[in-house]
Amino acid sequence: MTALEELTKQADTLTNPYIERWKERGGKIIGYYCTYVPEEIIHAAGMLPYRMRATGSTSSELGDAYASTTTCTFCRHALDQAMKGEYSFLDGLVTLHSCDHVARTFDAWRYGKVPLPDPFYLRFLDVPIKTDAPAVEWMTLQLDKFKRSLEDHFQVTISDEALRRSVKTYNEKRRLLKSLYELRKKEAPPITGAEVLGICIASTSMPADEFNQLLRQSLDELKGRDGFWDYRARLLLAGGELEDPAYIRVIEELGGLVVTDMLCFGLRAFWDLVDEDSEPIAALAKRYIERISCPRMIDYSRRLKFIRDLLGEFKADGIIVQRMKYCDNWACDGAMIRWQAKEDGTPYLILEREYLMSAVGQMRTRVQAFLETIMR
Amino acid sequence: MEEKYQAHRLLYELLKDVQEPPELRSIVDWTGRVLRAVDQGQPIVYNEFTFWCDSMIAMDIQPLSPEVWPAMLLAAVAAFPEMVDPNALASADNPILDTAVEAGIPPELCTAGRGIVGGLLTDFLPPPSMTVVPSYPCDNTRAIYQTVANLTGAPIYWLDCPYWMDEPEAMDYWVSQYKGLISFLEEHSGKKMDYDRLKEVVEESNRFVDYWLEGSELLRMKPLPQNGPFLATEVLLNLGLPIATEVVKARLDALKERIARGETAVPEEKVRVVWNYLPVLWDPGLFDWMAQEFGAVTPVAMGSWEHHEPVDTSTPESIIRGMARRALGAHMGRHGASSSDVWIEDTLHAFEQWQGDCIIVNGALGCKWVRGSYGYLRDICRQRGIPVMMFDADIADPRVVSQEEVHARIGEFLDTVMAR
Repeated sequence: MTALEELTKQADTLTNPYIERWKERGGKIIGYYCTYVPEEIIHAAGMLPYRMRATGSTSSELGDAYASTTTCTFCRHALDQAMKGEYSFLDGLVTLHSCDHVARTFDAWRYGKVPLPDPFYLRFLDVPIKTDAPAVEWMTLQLDKFKRSLEDHFQVTISDEALRRSVKTYNEKRRLLKSLYELRKKEAPPITGAEVLGICIASTSMPADEFNQLLRQSLDELKGRDGFWDYRARLLLAGGELEDPAYIRVIEELGGLVVTDMLCFGLRAFWDLVDEDSEPIAALAKRYIERISCPRMIDYSRRLKFIRDLLGEFKADGIIVQRMKYCDNWACDGAMIRWQAKEDGTPYLILEREYLMSAVGQMRTRVQAFLETIMR
Repeated sequence: MEEKYQAHRLLYELLKDVQEPPELRSIVDWTGRVLRAVDQGQPIVYNEFTFWCDSMIAMDIQPLSPEVWPAMLLAAVAAFPEMVDPNALASADNPILDTAVEAGIPPELCTAGRGIVGGLLTDFLPPPSMTVVPSYPCDNTRAIYQTVANLTGAPIYWLDCPYWMDEPEAMDYWVSQYKGLISFLEEHSGKKMDYDRLKEVVEESNRFVDYWLEGSELLRMKPLPQNGPFLATEVLLNLGLPIATEVVKARLDALKERIARGETAVPEEKVRVVWNYLPVLWDPGLFDWMAQEFGAVTPVAMGSWEHHEPVDTSTPESIIRGMARRALGAHMGRHGASSSDVWIEDTLHAFEQWQGDCIIVNGALGCKWVRGSYGYLRDICRQRGIPVMMFDADIADPRVVSQEEVHARIGEFLDTVMAR
């Protein structure tokens, strides 16, 4: 098996052999729901950060007892998985007010609706919605408290030196992922969007050092790979939670090669680096608040500009916005992207989806029609 | 050129001299001031519907809570049902909501938010010169107001509210957001905050809050002297102006007179309903229907009571801090700003203090936070033997769930409660 295959297959399952080995060695694993949780702090505590997914879920009946019919289906499935004990490999969970859906389903963990071992670490980070200097200062305070609470709960010390090492490790991960994205700028990119999403998911489900090593090997492997020429359009895929590469495969099977993205599991998670020379907690706060944002942040004009820039850099012919039904954050960003795209003459398509792949036939028809309008 | 905002202009001309009911007077007065500001080219500041307007009043900048702009029409219907057909009103609202959807705003977004986008696109709603929004209560707010900024190009100020307000540093951060608000209003209006004037306005608003909460307290009486929660829409429209205080005082006096006369909401009070969400805006007669059909009275609802201390007006710093603290007591805002704990605690507090027999939650389909908290409240209520029910509805669009369906659902629940 190639390193590339090894990485991409991690998206197929909730857990993986890396996690199992980590646990066998007595390692702790901390789940986190959102890209605004600094993995570096967890890593510096000697623990493995794991980005929450609901991979493998087939129903949400238990979760539905608390989540409502208008809660997004990702949160419903993830809560269902939690209530069924599927995250038993976790020693803790950290989240924030990413959205009302995540915040409210997190309450189920707080209220004892999820079976948890005792002790179990639960933390809700108070992350601001603004991106100005006072917000960075507030975030610094919050991250310092987060660090101290991890230390208290797990009886560990998170030194500045360990934080600096973690920052370097995660920056390295980000640089490697950026190198991967650089390849997608080519006229004939050697990698598909579905594969890239698989790699990005692996980056959140395995130890960073092992991931970095595998990604380096993958980048070498890709040097010898033929590029994809036979696509009908180069696409930018935007939207929130998307953890199923099969979704992108549907688009790519129809000839729409996803060459870049503005996804939660994709580019937005890693694009910006942390300053390695500053005091680490302050540097992390600055990076996480000022990074290219999610619609939870009051930063729409910068996001719109960033998308416009990405379109140019990656020579994308059009935009697809995939939005989980009931996601309010992406409801309005989707509309604003649509208005901007219309003004710029950029072809766009807004697709609504549920967590589990459904109505694939309808999706195919819409994507096919969209690709025909691009007429590359 | 065709004059904009015709429905509001027409109703304003029709109702400007009407004195009763007092709450209509307040809304008519506000509408008149907004229209005058529009016509005279004066600045208008949008204040999101959980954000009180006294800071804007103190700077003589006209507040316009865009979610409340249709209130003029709703208030007219409520006050004079024979004058306006509520069904016609609801269908008049449809093109506005539909326009937002056609523009790309998904239908499951809160109708209040969709109404703003649709209202701007259809010239139903005057555009803002500037906008002030807290980070609460919900995703809808953050999403819609970014869209408003994008659509109108008007400067916008966000007050970033910490999630855990009990944390020691949280209040200082929140107060700094309030100070930023004053600077923002000064920068974009060209006016300076006169702190003597702010003191006057806040003292007026303190009086308002006293009267309002006194009215709300009186509805704890059993049997209930007057049906329907003691709501205070004025906090969004005129707070700090004498008219808001006069209106709430008039409502309070009328309630006291009813009590003195020994009047009750219904001849035989059978059930007391704690309604811990917004009313169904398109069905203003709902509480009366519940009372008439079931003897079920509604003494309290979200926003008809809140925990407030008077703002200390001794120094500019104490005023700002007091206003900031007071904002955290505002319902809906405080409920969406933090964990489910806050809404659940407030609901159970209302149940106890207003001597409730059951709890009904308007499960507004666009409101993800309340619907996401309901399951936890339901579990607690089950443990305590409190009947509780959430029904599906849209707060402003009766096409989604009809009046018949809403009444049927509530009726079945009240039958069950009474059979206990």
